Amino acid sequence: MSPAKPHRVLLERVSGYADEAAAYMRRRRVSRRPFARLYYPGGRSADHAVDSISGGELFVAAGRLIEVAERTPQ
Amino acid sequence: MVDTAKAGRSVPGGAAERALAFLAEMSPDLRGAAILDASGRVLAASDEPRRWEEDVAALLAVADRAGEEPVEQVHIATEQGEVFAIRNAGLAAVAVTDRFALASVLFFDLRSILRDLAGGGDGLAGGDGGGAA
Repeated sequence: MSPAKPHRVLLERVSGYADEAAAYMRRRRVSRRPFARLYYPGGRSADHAVDSISGGELFVAAGRLIEVAERTPQ
Repeated sequence: MVDTAKAGRSVPGGAAERALAFLAEMSPDLRGAAILDASGRVLAASDEPRRWEEDVAALLAVADRAGEEPVEQVHIATEQGEVFAIRNAGLAAVAVTDRFALASVLFFDLRSILRDLAGGGDGLAGGDGGGAA
């Protein structure tokens, strides 16, 4: 029995990666919850829960921007 | 090195508008965006610049109050869409996208655009390296 042709091996590997990526994106869509994340100089970041005061304010401010963008003619 | 204090004032609105159009072309998820100078004045916006100016100022004020230092980037994901904001080189950019936009790519594009505008460019060096014709 002859070994698989090199291009087939490559093709299968690429397809495998694509399948994995698609599965990851599907899981992400299902499991992802709303969040507010702030990043600071130096790479530090902080999450703000939806039910916190700062989180609530951030979501309200973001909601206004989403509303403006909705009204933008495409 | 970019003079961050001067950068925002020296960017012409035309360059910011071209940069915004380029961003829209590169980002299929984009619903709207705005670029602002250091004082918070809109240099370019998808629509209703005054409304963008007010709402971006409100968002950045809330974000700054939430921590002990001024924020550099903001990413808020809601059920209705996602909001990205970034400050760089004395300018600020805000983008609203559909849900599940790739944050790292969008932040990279926004940062590249701001850096290019602040350096006197036309903002088209963002994303994939300025492949615009």
